[in-house]
Amino acid sequence: MLVTGAVSTKKPMRVPILPERGRLSWFELVLLLVCIGLVVASIPSSLRDVILLSFLFGGLALAWNIAGGYAGLISFGHAAFFGVGGYTSTILLVHYDITPWIGIWFGGTIAGVFGAALALICARLRGPFFILSTLAFAEVVRIGALNWSSLTGGPEGLSIMPTPGLASMVFASKATYAWLMLGYLVVVYAITKALEASRFGYYLFAIRDNEDAASAAGVNPLLGRTLAMALSAALTGVGGSLFAQYFLYLDPTYVISPELSFQFALLPAVGGLGTAIGPVLGSFLITPLSELLRSYFGNSAAGLHLVIYSLGLVVVMLYFPSGLAGALAKLARWRPFS
Amino acid sequence: MRSFLRLSAMFASIVLMLGTNASAQEPIRIGVLLPFTGPLAKNGIENWEAMQIARDMINERGGLNGRKVEYVQGDATTPNAAISETERLITKEGIKITTGSFASPLAIAVSQAAERHGVFHWETTGAAEIITRRGFKHTFQVGAPARKYGQAAVDFVVEDLSARLKKPMSNLRMALLWENRAFGKSVGDGIRAYSEKKGIKLVYDEGYDQTATDMTPIVQKLKDVKPDVLIAISFPNDAILFQRKAKELDFNVNAFIGVSAGYSAPDLRDSIGNSVTGIFVADFPPKVNANVLKPEVKKVAEEFYKRYEAKLKRAPAGHAAAGFSAVWALFTEVLPKAKTYEPAELRDIVLKLDLPEGSLVNGSGIKFTNFDWPDDPKDAGQNLRASIGVWQWTKDGNEQVFPPSLATHEPIQVPLPGWDKR
Amino acid sequence: MSTLGQLVISGILIGGIYALMSIGLTLIFGVLRIVNFAHGEFLMVAMYGAWAITRLLGLNPYVAAVAIVPAMFLFGAIVYRMIINPALDKPHLVVVFATMALSIFMQNVALMMMTADLMDVPPIFGRSITIGPIYIKVELLLGFIITILCTVALQWMIKTTYLGKAIRATVQDGEAAMLMGIPVPRIFLITFAGGSALVGLAACVMMPLFSVFPTVGLNFVLIAFVIVVLGGMGSIEGALLGGICVGVVQSLSSYYVAPAFGQMFFFVLFLFVMIFRPNGLLGQKGAATIGMNE
Repeated sequence: MLVTGAVSTKKPMRVPILPERGRLSWFELVLLLVCIGLVVASIPSSLRDVILLSFLFGGLALAWNIAGGYAGLISFGHAAFFGVGGYTSTILLVHYDITPWIGIWFGGTIAGVFGAALALICARLRGPFFILSTLAFAEVVRIGALNWSSLTGGPEGLSIMPTPGLASMVFASKATYAWLMLGYLVVVYAITKALEASRFGYYLFAIRDNEDAASAAGVNPLLGRTLAMALSAALTGVGGSLFAQYFLYLDPTYVISPELSFQFALLPAVGGLGTAIGPVLGSFLITPLSELLRSYFGNSAAGLHLVIYSLGLVVVMLYFPSGLAGALAKLARWRPFS
Repeated sequence: MRSFLRLSAMFASIVLMLGTNASAQEPIRIGVLLPFTGPLAKNGIENWEAMQIARDMINERGGLNGRKVEYVQGDATTPNAAISETERLITKEGIKITTGSFASPLAIAVSQAAERHGVFHWETTGAAEIITRRGFKHTFQVGAPARKYGQAAVDFVVEDLSARLKKPMSNLRMALLWENRAFGKSVGDGIRAYSEKKGIKLVYDEGYDQTATDMTPIVQKLKDVKPDVLIAISFPNDAILFQRKAKELDFNVNAFIGVSAGYSAPDLRDSIGNSVTGIFVADFPPKVNANVLKPEVKKVAEEFYKRYEAKLKRAPAGHAAAGFSAVWALFTEVLPKAKTYEPAELRDIVLKLDLPEGSLVNGSGIKFTNFDWPDDPKDAGQNLRASIGVWQWTKDGNEQVFPPSLATHEPIQVPLPGWDKR
Repeated sequence: MSTLGQLVISGILIGGIYALMSIGLTLIFGVLRIVNFAHGEFLMVAMYGAWAITRLLGLNPYVAAVAIVPAMFLFGAIVYRMIINPALDKPHLVVVFATMALSIFMQNVALMMMTADLMDVPPIFGRSITIGPIYIKVELLLGFIITILCTVALQWMIKTTYLGKAIRATVQDGEAAMLMGIPVPRIFLITFAGGSALVGLAACVMMPLFSVFPTVGLNFVLIAFVIVVLGGMGSIEGALLGGICVGVVQSLSSYYVAPAFGQMFFFVLFLFVMIFRPNGLLGQKGAATIGMNE
């Protein structure tokens, strides 16, 4: 559990090496440069696919982390927001010819409303009850999307024409998508960092760590929770829209699937919950890893890549419960020369 | 230094020579996207087995213009995995030709990714109409579109069953049950539209989710509306659950027509035993009347069936036969005419194909639409000669019963005896 | 009228089966306060076991329970030792993801070993029995009776035996129980293994009714979660009630609204219960708000 220490704004402007709450560090700056380098460098197109997916899922993991890591709202229903965002911008594009550059904002907003609704439905629930309710919520959304065919295309899904065009936000070059996804990742990261340093952020930590104490200190837990969930859902919805623009095809059975919800929660869990850098590291590790395993072992025996993947996951979960960010923090405390 | 440069130049030219030498023998690599894991793995793997037989057969015959055929697998377990895997095969493995996919949602996804890269996609069995209605240039749906499944079933009722049941169509009560995924919905929509055109009113028309665990409400409702003929589009697990529930609640119809995967799966007999006998199936024919096949195709068909049965200890399902037929056509009718194997060239070759019915192992022919089809000018790459027929489960196998040209047998057990007599 | 009767009776009977497969989950939750996301795959493995015994040894699947139940007990104990126990003192998400990873692992090992084919056992009883216009499948009725017996036996066990008392003490206050000399870690182990054994029993009852394939667990696990929360996590009779509720709601809504919405209705029901009665129908008071795991 992270210590909710006092805000250390008085300290001189020293840029720390490793990430700290609410402040930028050299580590993050270098990581950003590496990301930019990866986009700019002339690397094979297949790697670029993995890289831009790592960016996208990094952003989605950060969005999940706002609810799950900072506010303690462990949600397994974020695929619903992802789907709502993706469907909103895609429906606007396909049915009404509205450019996704505008549609994305609608997608985020409507997903945010769904998030607030979920937070209110689950206002009184904690722990596994909360987790299972979010799962049920996403299932209701999925079945709704599956059966409202006139709007969502039902089980046949919605396709976006793959003809490149700036207005339709479809690009021929993967580099453009990589920039787009990196932009998303950076924006969500900046929001997360701002949240960490803000009063609202501290309210969330207080609610997460001790709700009674927080409410005695004048923090409204329900309001805090609802806003956190809405923000998290809205950012997830934007990610859903970007996903739709990249994959150009939405199918409720996958886009609103429990598997995807698990994925959103898994990346921060592996990377380190309640930290800004954790979800990013989680995505940068897991996303390429799962692609790699699939391409190496997918041909030898059906399911082998998933066997290896899941075994690795069990080991990581059991032996590195505080995630990669936890390992990094340990490294920060390591003083070999003192 | 100079000698070093010369040496390296020599070395480089040797490597180059080796490289060019190798490329003459380099295999033709084809990306196969199928669900190898996940809920659809069963059908995906059956299709894979059938496609492997086609590859082995063509390689044993010396390959294509002296080059062997090689498959690169992609695990298309969900639509989005299908997209990622297609992207991977195209960008990482340099694949220019993809095939497979089995299920409609996967076909929609794979073709989307392939089209984006201008890669040639030869869809074997995916059926949803939308696959070819997006204006794609390099996607060819060799199997029948969803509409055809429904038409085959309805035509069979109108042209054959109605007389056999001694009920004119105006009196015949027809019910429609569909699984609510891309294929089921697409076929269901097709049947609804086609019945309307033929002036048939459906007495029941409902969709359900594949993962349903209790079929009681569906069977009970069907019992209440008392249909003469039921057309059901199902996947394997729900088909079995439905049949068991029908037996449990003693729901009887005069004729039962299942559509595709669920009712054509060989497992059905293992699961529901002999009560499978008499069920009609509208699907790719697993085995057609050999007389309609061209002589050389007949030989290929015999070899395919022999090898498949030897390998899997059972006869192939319709979709597996269709998978074989499609890739075999690719190997024998399309690729041999190619020089560069570039998608644009393949597209030209494919659009010129004009193969009559009986040219493929499963009785199909090939003639693709190309933005010129009166029903939908956006449509390109739909095969107008894909054969879908109706076959029937018999006591010890299955027989094609409709259309008459492909039929191997007369329909039996019409009307279908009640559960107590089966 | 006969339609309504049939729907309700069938709903109750299938609900009983759902309940049986959920009791293990609720028991584990009540004592260890964890949700086993691999529950569906435990069911899948046990169904393969029951299938193998029935098909290969030619035994009746109900007889197979004699072997499957202890085997699943052992399996549960191993999983507990290797995965659950090391995860218990870590953040809650750890056990969630560890069991989730286990479920992916089991699904794909099953795929590699058993292929994706559907496996069945032949029907045991030929025809349904009829009461007036209502048809009842014998296997379903038998499953329901086994559920009732199992519920009663478990209740008796928990109320009267030493083990039961120790379990109850652990549920009420783990630390106090430990101080009183109750071996809490062993109680955890026994509960987890016992819960798994109950899944084994459920699998034997379900084998004559459903096909088994690697992802069969997915079709049932969400239902089990709904039932467990609906009945009140940790409550055995609650699971029975929850199961019957889900069975009947699914049956009636599929008939009167549309089959495509059958599942949606029980999820909506679930959310309503969560809003208005978060402890479930028969759950411990305050369980949902305290979260019981923090």
